[in-house]
Amino acid sequence: MSKQNNAPLIQISKRRELPWYGPIAIRAAAIVLALAACAVVTTAFTGENPLEIYHTMWTGAFGTPRKTWILFQNIAILLCVSLAVTPAFIMRFWNIGAEGQMLIGGLATAACMILLGDKLPNPVLIGIMLLAALAAGGLWGAIPAVCKARWNTNETLFTLMMNYVATQLVAFFVIVWEVPKGAGKIGIINQTTEAGWLPQIGSYKYLLNILIVAVLTAAMYVYLTRSKQGYEIAVVGQSQRTARYVGIKVGRVIVRTMILSGALCGLAGFLLVAGTDHTITTTIAGGRGFTAVMVSWLANFNPINMILTSFLLVFLERGAGEIATNFGLNHSFGDIITGIILFFIIGSEFFIRYQLRLRKNAGKEA
Amino acid sequence: MKKIIALVLSLVLCLSLLTACGGDSAAETTAPAQNAQTEGEAAPAETAAAADIKVGFIFLHDENSTYDLNFMNAAEEACKSLGLTEDQYIFRTNIPEGQECYDAACELVDAGCTVVFADSFGHEDYMIQAAKEFPEVQFCHATGTKAHTQGLSNYHNAFASIYEGRYLAGVAAGLKLNEMIEAGEFTAEEAKMGYVGAFTYAEVISGYTSFYLGAKSVCPTVTMEVTFTGSWYDETAEKEAANKLISNGCKLISQHADSMGAPTACETAGVPNVSYNGSTIAACPNTFIVSSRINWAPYYTYVINAVLAGEEIPADYTGTIADGSVVLTEVNEAAAAAGTAEKLEEVKAGLLDGSIHVFDTTTFTVEGAPVESYLADVDTDPDYTPDTEAVSDGYFHESEFRSAPYFDLKIDGISLLDTAF
Amino acid sequence: MDKNTPAVSLQNISKSFGGVPANEHVSLDIYRGEILALLGENGSGKTTLMNMLSGIYFPDEGQILIDGEPVVISSPKDAFRYGIGMIHQHFKLVDVLTAAENIVLGLKEKGRLNMEQVAGRVKEICEQYGFEVDPNQKIYDMSVSQKQTVEIVKVLYRGADILILDEPTAVLTPQETEKLFAVLRNMRSSGKAIVIITHKMHEVEALSDRVAVLNRGRFVGDVMTRDTNAQEMTNMMVGHPVTLNIQRPEPKDPKPRIEVEGLTVRSEDGVLKLEDVSFTARSGEILGIAGISGCGQKELLEAIAGLQKVEKGSIRFVEDDGSRDELIGKDPMEITSMGVALSFVPEDRLGMGLVGDMDLTDNMMLRSFREGHSVFTDRNGPRKLAAQVVKELGVITPGLTTPVRRLSGGNVQKILVGREIASAPTVLLTAYAVRGLDINSSYTIYELINKQKQAGVAVVYVGEDLDVLLQLCDRIVVLCGGKVSGILDGKTATKNQIGLMMTTVGGTREHE
Repeated sequence: MSKQNNAPLIQISKRRELPWYGPIAIRAAAIVLALAACAVVTTAFTGENPLEIYHTMWTGAFGTPRKTWILFQNIAILLCVSLAVTPAFIMRFWNIGAEGQMLIGGLATAACMILLGDKLPNPVLIGIMLLAALAAGGLWGAIPAVCKARWNTNETLFTLMMNYVATQLVAFFVIVWEVPKGAGKIGIINQTTEAGWLPQIGSYKYLLNILIVAVLTAAMYVYLTRSKQGYEIAVVGQSQRTARYVGIKVGRVIVRTMILSGALCGLAGFLLVAGTDHTITTTIAGGRGFTAVMVSWLANFNPINMILTSFLLVFLERGAGEIATNFGLNHSFGDIITGIILFFIIGSEFFIRYQLRLRKNAGKEA
Repeated sequence: MKKIIALVLSLVLCLSLLTACGGDSAAETTAPAQNAQTEGEAAPAETAAAADIKVGFIFLHDENSTYDLNFMNAAEEACKSLGLTEDQYIFRTNIPEGQECYDAACELVDAGCTVVFADSFGHEDYMIQAAKEFPEVQFCHATGTKAHTQGLSNYHNAFASIYEGRYLAGVAAGLKLNEMIEAGEFTAEEAKMGYVGAFTYAEVISGYTSFYLGAKSVCPTVTMEVTFTGSWYDETAEKEAANKLISNGCKLISQHADSMGAPTACETAGVPNVSYNGSTIAACPNTFIVSSRINWAPYYTYVINAVLAGEEIPADYTGTIADGSVVLTEVNEAAAAAGTAEKLEEVKAGLLDGSIHVFDTTTFTVEGAPVESYLADVDTDPDYTPDTEAVSDGYFHESEFRSAPYFDLKIDGISLLDTAF
Repeated sequence: MDKNTPAVSLQNISKSFGGVPANEHVSLDIYRGEILALLGENGSGKTTLMNMLSGIYFPDEGQILIDGEPVVISSPKDAFRYGIGMIHQHFKLVDVLTAAENIVLGLKEKGRLNMEQVAGRVKEICEQYGFEVDPNQKIYDMSVSQKQTVEIVKVLYRGADILILDEPTAVLTPQETEKLFAVLRNMRSSGKAIVIITHKMHEVEALSDRVAVLNRGRFVGDVMTRDTNAQEMTNMMVGHPVTLNIQRPEPKDPKPRIEVEGLTVRSEDGVLKLEDVSFTARSGEILGIAGISGCGQKELLEAIAGLQKVEKGSIRFVEDDGSRDELIGKDPMEITSMGVALSFVPEDRLGMGLVGDMDLTDNMMLRSFREGHSVFTDRNGPRKLAAQVVKELGVITPGLTTPVRRLSGGNVQKILVGREIASAPTVLLTAYAVRGLDINSSYTIYELINKQKQAGVAVVYVGEDLDVLLQLCDRIVVLCGGKVSGILDGKTATKNQIGLMMTTVGGTREHE
């Protein structure tokens, strides 16, 4: 009986334990490989020198003080949304409605600015705007949570649909408040009076936003790892049965956490509308509600890691924009580079959890 | 090995397709007959262009949008004709109508630009923000409405008398209707046109009214239905809108929105189409009649020259047929009525010498009565307060008090559908 | 073929997961016409070894010989080709299909599938070995034991003559176990090679011809069953001598603690789970609950713990002074705040009692995290408790920050029991406290439970091993289909009596 040796060439098995530097080394290797792959693609399709492309990406992010500020402002907003969705994700409540919660928070902010713009002193107005944004975002988060807790509805679909409702509400109010008539745009609100605009710290336009989010990051880290509520969220996420077993009121935790999550998304909308853009459009969230999902996952739901992952994504985005401008390439090329780099980084997670072993006697078989 | 060859071949194919596409759009932009005039103006500046000027351009989308492509081609044409080298002008594409526009404008200033252009209506407020911050830099915004009231010496609006272009396109449409009536396809009373608009904004109202008046000048019985999509670019909605108008009995369609939705719907249904932004003949060989568009190159050339010469730029610039800002594409003989080109030349001459006014108050009525006086909302404010008398000397003075259109009368003969936007 | 050639010969097999060895240089022969019992504590590598034989894992080192020929088994398909069939602990059947459909599922036979022919062949196999299977019965209509039979017929249908059964009796009643053993003996006499993985010494003694023992991934040795005894096998398994006695101290001053009366419970989809159940659990006493798995034990304990909706009846907590508090309608928080110290070791350790991804400290905190007025958690107390449990119960763990999911079943159970008794309960509910645990761990748990009993705790012990129930419990409530079939005295009841009561209310055979 002649038996062919068909032992598998590559065996995949789960890793037990890696030394602390293991994951770092694997991720670093992934980034190096990603850059190499990008270099090949770049040269093959555009004929540009890949090193120059990388340099351009770097200058796109850090080239001038202004670019650096914009980078950090963008990180701040993305990080704010990512922090917002994280408690829900830890609870295994798949909130993909951050986009809508941001929009509705922004809409509430804009409504206060337009309707109360000249009627209240600025600090009072800003306080009301903030409360309105938190309440609106919280409400937008609470609706799917209550339905989940009561009737066990599917939160993924529900929060997704809430995005469309929010978008249409914004579209409606944009037409109510549009300037000039029929334009479908509100434009900058209170451009002359600057009523309801967040104050600027010194000459730094974006510093306030960045500081707010920095404080929020630390607070969220403490909340999730040290507070009783954070602990409850983790237990509910791991096992609702365990949570009930120890007397945690699961429905209440779900609703409470989603109000928090939605309110913080509303805060992000507030920072956008009151802090920087001073307008509301249906696209003001710019897909950040979905990018935040990736930021949160990639960071393993750790707020401190999220600083890095949001930095990575914003850096790639800013760099990609600079490539488009400097080399006259389409924006899509920057997206291709971003895609390749993300592919390698996400792919590296596999190698952190699993190991591959080649068949030992592979050579002898042939 | 075979695989590699196949890969190389497919790459070559892709590249050749790309260059072919590029060639098409280039050919389209050089088509207008008025180029001679543009170049004539540009000539004296060429010596000064060697100076250390840098120009920045902000575009809402990239070359995949016909709207932005029109601006990008004009910008490139103007810069090249002025002898600017490639590192003297910077294009920033895909800049949303938000803080990103302000950031982009500031970054362009950081990069050394002394003049910055933006192409989308929603960019305006952010350009004003930047203009306030950098008084030594000129900020020029196309399609905006606020320059004449802002009081900033370095912020400017620009538009063109595109209503004249649309009037001419309307004449071509009217002639086509006449031909179809004569051929017995429908009666003169059934001559109805359809128009797909984006928003119920003055720019759109001015556009469809001038188009209608152009058609009415040769086909007096014509009526028109207008529908709105609530978006400047929504291919599906525009296609659906065109199909609805066709099923409502419209015999000819025109549009003021930026996708290929309406033209392709017309080609599929075999309904004549008067296009906008540029020729759509490649996609619609059987139904495309003619298209009007704004050529921004004369404006760009003018502003850059003014900056070079240190001259003041007016708050509003309105391009005209005369300076080559308003152009028509070649008439598609396959679809247009016989003699269209000749008739268009005749009407254009009339517009140029002032014997024809598009909004001649004798040619239209509002609610059955002729218009003798109308306060237009020229100065932008959130309450839409009418502020300027626009009717005098027997016609409505469009684009005179500011460059962006402000004609927003709802004249008889045009019925509006879906005006929620 | 020479009778002395092993059907399967494992030579020098090693397998490790992420650097942790599961099997090290194991050599083992399996013969036809023989039942081999594979013994070993939890985590000793029994299942891993058999999974390599059935193509689920691939060995890192070593060689497998089938009938003396070296072979490579890299997939379950390969295993079938060599006639190896494994019956796993968790059945892999499609509920909505019939027995016959499940049996032919995934087989690639040429031509049209003739279900009648299949049914005929299934009947043939059943008759040959003494199975009772209706080929046209749907799986969802079957009892656990019937499902297991289908699994066995499935591998036989595919021509397996080397059968591996992973803890087949864990889910069976004594009567069903006897039937299974009869079938296995028939198969042995028809020349099949049979490997049975088990913990239960009496089954090994009753069934097997030879015993092979693994300890920490290594092969310790094999002996003929007739030449050994339970004590010796246990010693081999554990690696050092152990005592196999369960104490049953006399209850001291038993007083009623929990009164259950007329309890009726329906599951969420309306199925009657408990019907008119009444009994009293007393302090200082272990009340055993016996029954086939899934006949209401889980619902009963969860109803007492405030986790299960009750349709009818009452559950009262009786104080020392005789005053009674109704527990129905209260959630665990409210029960605690009433001052009822109720501890519950649920059946589903990682799905209910503990959080698998959390470390030891955080799991200790589950019961106590609400203490104090601060919004922040205090981890010092739980950390001390974790360290104490690890020390006192001999939990083997890399550290207090290891997620409990990484620990073996016995250690997980010790942590859970340790936490539950740390709060000095007056009532302790345990469900299958030793399921899946090895001998050593099991005896540790029995000891802990006995200590609680002596401290005056009312213990309710749901168990599946009747021998243990009979040795440990003072009284035994036998459940049958959600009804109380009878309440027996642990000292006088017999295994057979309980077995009968588990299948028939009252224990008579008349209606069978």
